Amino acid sequence: MSDVARTTEVAAVDSPAAVKPAYKVRKRSVKAMIDRYKWYEIVLIYAGMALFLFFILAPFIEGFLVSLKPLSQLFSTPYNFIPENGSFEAYFTMWQSVPMLALYIFNSFFISTVVTLIVIAVVVPASYAFARFQFSGSGMMLGGFLAVNMFSGAVLLIPLFRLMRSMGLLNTYWAMIVPGAAFLIPSSIWLLRTYMLRIPRELDEAAWVDGASRLYTLRRVVLPLAMPGIVVVAIMTFIGAYAQQFIFALTFNSKSEFMPLPIGLFAFFGKQEVIWNELMAASFVGILPVMVVIVFLQRYLVAGLTAGAVKQ
Amino acid sequence: MSELSLKHVQKSFSEAHIIKGIDLEVSEGEFVVFVGPSGCGKSTLLRMIAGLEEVSAGEIEIGGRVVNDLPPVQRGIAMVFQSYALYPHMTVYENIAFPLRVERLPQAEVDKRVSAAAKVLQLESRLQQRPGTLSGGQRQRVAIGRAIVRQPRIFLFDEPLSNLDAALRSEMRIELMELHKRLGSTMIYVTHDQVEAMTMADKIVVLDVGTISQVGSPLQLYHKPDNLFVAGFIGSPKMNFINGTVTSADGTTLAVDLGALGTISLPRDAKLGAGQSVTVGIRPEHLQLGTGDFTLDITPRIVEHLGIHTVLYSTLPAGENFVGLFEGDPKVSDGQPVTLGFTRDQVHLFDSAGKAVY
Repeated sequence: MSDVARTTEVAAVDSPAAVKPAYKVRKRSVKAMIDRYKWYEIVLIYAGMALFLFFILAPFIEGFLVSLKPLSQLFSTPYNFIPENGSFEAYFTMWQSVPMLALYIFNSFFISTVVTLIVIAVVVPASYAFARFQFSGSGMMLGGFLAVNMFSGAVLLIPLFRLMRSMGLLNTYWAMIVPGAAFLIPSSIWLLRTYMLRIPRELDEAAWVDGASRLYTLRRVVLPLAMPGIVVVAIMTFIGAYAQQFIFALTFNSKSEFMPLPIGLFAFFGKQEVIWNELMAASFVGILPVMVVIVFLQRYLVAGLTAGAVKQ
Repeated sequence: MSELSLKHVQKSFSEAHIIKGIDLEVSEGEFVVFVGPSGCGKSTLLRMIAGLEEVSAGEIEIGGRVVNDLPPVQRGIAMVFQSYALYPHMTVYENIAFPLRVERLPQAEVDKRVSAAAKVLQLESRLQQRPGTLSGGQRQRVAIGRAIVRQPRIFLFDEPLSNLDAALRSEMRIELMELHKRLGSTMIYVTHDQVEAMTMADKIVVLDVGTISQVGSPLQLYHKPDNLFVAGFIGSPKMNFINGTVTSADGTTLAVDLGALGTISLPRDAKLGAGQSVTVGIRPEHLQLGTGDFTLDITPRIVEHLGIHTVLYSTLPAGENFVGLFEGDPKVSDGQPVTLGFTRDQVHLFDSAGKAVY
């Protein structure tokens, strides 16, 4: 340290005016300034979330509570939400009350899986074509896909029934798989096409310059990068197929061994009474496969996979 | 024999003519730079050579073979894209190896070529990383590596440095020039940056709305621009232009009336008649403080002190911008009138059509 610097330091210590005011060091928040809220804002936000979550989850909570209650308690007055001496008994007895329950759950799972596989197989090349090629009528076809989605399946049931009958598909698995896939393909094409548009075209061009064919590029470059989009499509399709089975199964199938779970649940509606607790238990067990599939697929939802491809 | 030759090459998108007939010969080992303002068609021309855009008319020959209808891979070219276009899900190794995998070369050969390219580009320690973890300069090197392994006849670069920051850009510029020396291959390089063009090129092709404005070595273009466009495009800060009228021409000297600035007489034997409007050009760096063959007084609006250079910005009485560039830091400041001069032989003269008159 130079002499000059030392003298100034001494001077600074001596003169009281130069003593630095003690600034309080605030505990640093790791949040960005834009994400900071006052305490009452946070309370409001959580109150709002709690309200909406309650609306969404209340039927599930009630359903689960019902599944724990013995049947007699369900019709007691005053009604008790919290089960007294609740048990999981309904989860065991339901297999006896409806012996084919396991098959119904399997059917649901099987139909949704096949629908998902068909949709992925069709949608991936289709959306690549819509995202990359310019051909006449592509705009009109995309518009048409949207229009198809505006009709619910129910409106088309009678024509579909005639179609199924003439193709001999009634009372088979196909009766539920074919319309299921058909109604899910258009929206999936839109979804995946948008995702593929985000993959830089220069990657295709670079591969083309390096001698790769269109299919090679699709397989080695576009598909790996579109994986998160494909997984989203797969999840949406699986859930969609699981949810929409009811109406197709009810109309196009009368064989109980092909029935999916939503129809199978009708078996709990007896002539005299409805076994509500077992019905609820069966519903919860029935959606388990969907949960498993989603958890499994979610691992492939890698965000930011395209980072570093091109400089934006 | 020329490595690449363009014969009246044209490109139009429906009604719009982007490339309006280009003739060009590029010999083996040359470093050719296409330069021009944005929208001049330089990238389109490069993409036509690459085989990414169709040729509307004319012929492209590579190594004596017409390649108009061949896909890129059969043309013997490799291209480096402006945005790098790396495959983000592959490692650096696989990125560089991609063209070889397409060719289905045996693994040993792939290893050999990739490691050779990595050595040249100093990427050996990065081979197992993904592009996302690399810096801009390293990504650009990976893109170049992918071009090198193909061992192409011609390298095509589409503004490869424009995404890098200034410091890295000049560093990569040197690296590219060294690479060209080492490989000795033909390179065609597109840029809008005239500094890159001047520093790197053996031959510059200046493009202006779909036509070649001038072809020549950097110094040819600097000292003897063919026309106003090239004169204004090459050089930084750009050449000063002063509008004038020919007052007399006697076959050896030409007198030009520059309005309020007076009359300048230039040694030209051109047959320009009196009354013709012309443009006089003088480069900012050719001005000197004090008097010269021709002297004018200006009042700088802005003065930039760069240490090595000092730049004056002023406006002439007729409204044209006038810029002066001087070595070091002479005593000038904004608002203070200064006297500037220049010598006659550094003056450029352009006729009313913008053609240079020498």
